[in-house]
Amino acid sequence: VQDLTEKAIDAAVAAGAGYADSRVVRRRAQHVATKNGEVDSVSDAETEGIGVRVLVDGAWGFAGDPRLSEEGARDAALRAVAFARASASRARSRVHLAAIPPATGEYAAPVERDPVEVPLEEKIALCLRAEEGMRRPEVKITEATVRAMREERLFRSSEGASVTQRFVECGGGIDALAVSDDGRVQNRSYPSAHGGSSGQTGWEFVEELGLDREAPRVGEEAAALLTADACPSGVTTIVVDAEQMVLQVHESVGHPTELDRVYGTEAAYAGTSFLKPDDLGGLRYGSEHMHVTADPTTALGLGTFGWDDEGSPARRQPVVEGGVLTGYLASRETSALIGRDLGGSMRADSWSRMPLVRMTNLHLEPGAGSLEDLLADVDDGLYLCTNKSWSIDDKRLNFQFGTQVAWEIKKGKLGKMLRDPTYMGVTPEFWGRLDAVAGTEEWTMYGLTNCGKGQPGQHAHVSHGTSPARFRAVQVGVRQ
Amino acid sequence: VSRALDLAERAVKAAEGDEADVSVHVESSGFARFAASAVHQPTLIRDETVTLRVVRDGRIGCATTNRTDDDGLAAAARHAAEAADSAPVDPSFPGLQEPARVPDVGGYDEATAALTPEDQAESAAEAISGAPGFGLYGYYTSGVTEIAVASTTGLAVSQSATDTSVLTLAASVDSSGYAEATSWRAGDLDPAAVAREAAEKANRTRGATPIEPQTFRAVLEPYAISELLFYFAFTSLNALALLEGRSYLSGRLGEKLFDESFTVVDDGLDPVNYPKAFDMEGVPKQRVSMIEQGVARNVVWDRRTAKQAGDGHVSTGHALAPPAQAFGPIPFNLSMAGGDAASVDELVERVGDGIYVTRLHYLGVVDPREGIITGMTRDGTFRIEDGRVTTPVVNLRFTTSFPELAAGLLGLTKDVTLVNRSDFYDERYPFGTLVPAVATDAFTVVGTGSGPGL
Repeated sequence: VQDLTEKAIDAAVAAGAGYADSRVVRRRAQHVATKNGEVDSVSDAETEGIGVRVLVDGAWGFAGDPRLSEEGARDAALRAVAFARASASRARSRVHLAAIPPATGEYAAPVERDPVEVPLEEKIALCLRAEEGMRRPEVKITEATVRAMREERLFRSSEGASVTQRFVECGGGIDALAVSDDGRVQNRSYPSAHGGSSGQTGWEFVEELGLDREAPRVGEEAAALLTADACPSGVTTIVVDAEQMVLQVHESVGHPTELDRVYGTEAAYAGTSFLKPDDLGGLRYGSEHMHVTADPTTALGLGTFGWDDEGSPARRQPVVEGGVLTGYLASRETSALIGRDLGGSMRADSWSRMPLVRMTNLHLEPGAGSLEDLLADVDDGLYLCTNKSWSIDDKRLNFQFGTQVAWEIKKGKLGKMLRDPTYMGVTPEFWGRLDAVAGTEEWTMYGLTNCGKGQPGQHAHVSHGTSPARFRAVQVGVRQ
Repeated sequence: VSRALDLAERAVKAAEGDEADVSVHVESSGFARFAASAVHQPTLIRDETVTLRVVRDGRIGCATTNRTDDDGLAAAARHAAEAADSAPVDPSFPGLQEPARVPDVGGYDEATAALTPEDQAESAAEAISGAPGFGLYGYYTSGVTEIAVASTTGLAVSQSATDTSVLTLAASVDSSGYAEATSWRAGDLDPAAVAREAAEKANRTRGATPIEPQTFRAVLEPYAISELLFYFAFTSLNALALLEGRSYLSGRLGEKLFDESFTVVDDGLDPVNYPKAFDMEGVPKQRVSMIEQGVARNVVWDRRTAKQAGDGHVSTGHALAPPAQAFGPIPFNLSMAGGDAASVDELVERVGDGIYVTRLHYLGVVDPREGIITGMTRDGTFRIEDGRVTTPVVNLRFTTSFPELAAGLLGLTKDVTLVNRSDFYDERYPFGTLVPAVATDAFTVVGTGSGPGL
């Protein structure tokens, strides 16, 4: 197969490409879902193919082909060159790539127990056991899912790069939906909404999630939400749990610091960014408590790799330091545009898609103290947990997020449960209201598999480590 | 026999089970994505995906592969069998679809299927030429898909389809306007005209100012109402959501919930939309009348939800492929009836004072049971004063009840427009929503955001 990547490069260069890279990807993914004590689906998916990306006269072209054969590799290369040539004739400027040393080597995720090889019976049993723990009369729907994935990715470029990487992921989650007699609906999830959480490692990750251990609490809280008071509207102090902070970091720091958005290439779909290239090093993003780092070397992270999908090596890089913007997520093309070496964040969701600037593992660095310490300094406020809804504008400024549950904070202690909490803000103003981040002992990393971007669309797998954080004077309860 | 049907029948033969069904998706597409008036992410995709479901002693297992040689299909058959053997008996499994005649719905255009990468790049260039004063962002795409379903019951159906879309955002630092068009016939599209519409809109957005949040009377262009309708339909016009009590229609079927001008059907047979002959279980598509003159009548069904409901329900032909059926049946051919307004200008007159919304961004369902949706407006938001569209407004955060919006309709245009709703994730499955422009007295804005532009 490695030979095919070379043949694709050779074919592209012979056809006129000034630069070419090729990726062969082979993936196998399993998914088990149970619902109300029955198996909802057991699936096992394989996909493989080759993607060839070229520059012809400074214009990009890309083609993907599922055939891992000489014919498939050559066809993909020639089609990519033809598409690039058709675009190049009308291009107003040429793409330039920041120089990097050609990458060579191998990367493999650390795995004790290959999750794909774990018997499906064991996966189903875990899901059914976790579901059982959530059952309550009020809980009408219980769901549990686990997933496992194994992927081999070979990358080669006309500059001499040649790397082989083996990725392994697994994860899981549970959800309880409670419905009242008069039709009100509430839900709780663990470890997060939207498919749970995943890590880049072996099945031991899923075992450590403790889905069955947490199930009784999840069921109880879903039932209790049916009779909880609605979250009031007003301006108050909020403490946001680590799970919701994941979404906060993802939407209001991760996406706006993608340098392709800053340069406008996502304008028509995902949007742009309120940030500009010359904001780097000077823009105040938030308070002095805000430290955000992009780190594709974090153990267990879904965004961890040896090299990104254009051969840039993994490198930890600050994005916000002490509230000041100090980094962007970048590609070789956007690094050349901004004139800085910002590391590599180019990732494609499969062999059939062109790499895009994506988050890797983007973390809110921990502060100090425990969750209780954060709460202790709140006379009157809300503790918000687990994402439920999300929306943010095309420049990543105005957002409204909802969580599954809130608890009142009164004189430093948690009080009664509240349903349907929402909060809203404008990104730099909101982060400017950050006055504490809990410490390392509260720092948790979550892995998400549903980050959408690009046309045609691509799903990225990313991780975020966060601790609970406290924000002052935030608008809450904005729901109509 | 089509490539897809041939593959499906080979996979059925390879299956190891008492029964099996197979859905196949074959795609060849080109995507000329442009930004700042230059093509920058041109993507050509070829792929073929086989999804195999086997039944073994009442247990169900699924496997998917794009390895379509004999070894690949055999591996998929083995994986599906292993999955089935690992699962307990599925008492909710409704069985496989029996052979059925599917309608000839059209939706395939030879000229569109013949488009080359050079043609796609040329169409992108035509769009770019239509907005000379702006940076143009968006794409031109066309593709051919073949879908087939075959099973051990003797079912064997297939459909070939074409699709084209052009999406344009004309933008500068302080202005942005949006327009798009879609059809299964490339000849229906005029990329330069679409870009001109976006540029004309962008020209009017300079100098946008904030507006005090409140519940507005509003005109929503087809781009905006189509997105709201699809989000509402995904969460409420879906039999699984109905049965589980998550739908706005749960417990409310038969009630008049909306204005009597609000009528919604899902019609896979309509050649004006992206016609579809059958669903991913091979069930022929039915026209489903869901909202009739404001009265909630029905939702869409697949075989599993129909069995779950009992009471004589049958599948309406809206199943996804087996691994994705956890979402429930989905209405992919939504159509909202037009009204009596001759033009959008007439809707603006009916609103009198309010806002005009071109397009929405990043919707989120805050409360599916109540149909409450949040999002932002973008790329063409204006004040309506004294029955005329006047000055531009910054992007607005809305958190609004879709049922209240549809209960407060002030009018709908006679003409309806097909709006593309696919973002082209995973396998290409083109679909659109056929909608008029609407005027409503209930569009709730809760905040203001940034101005138009890059």
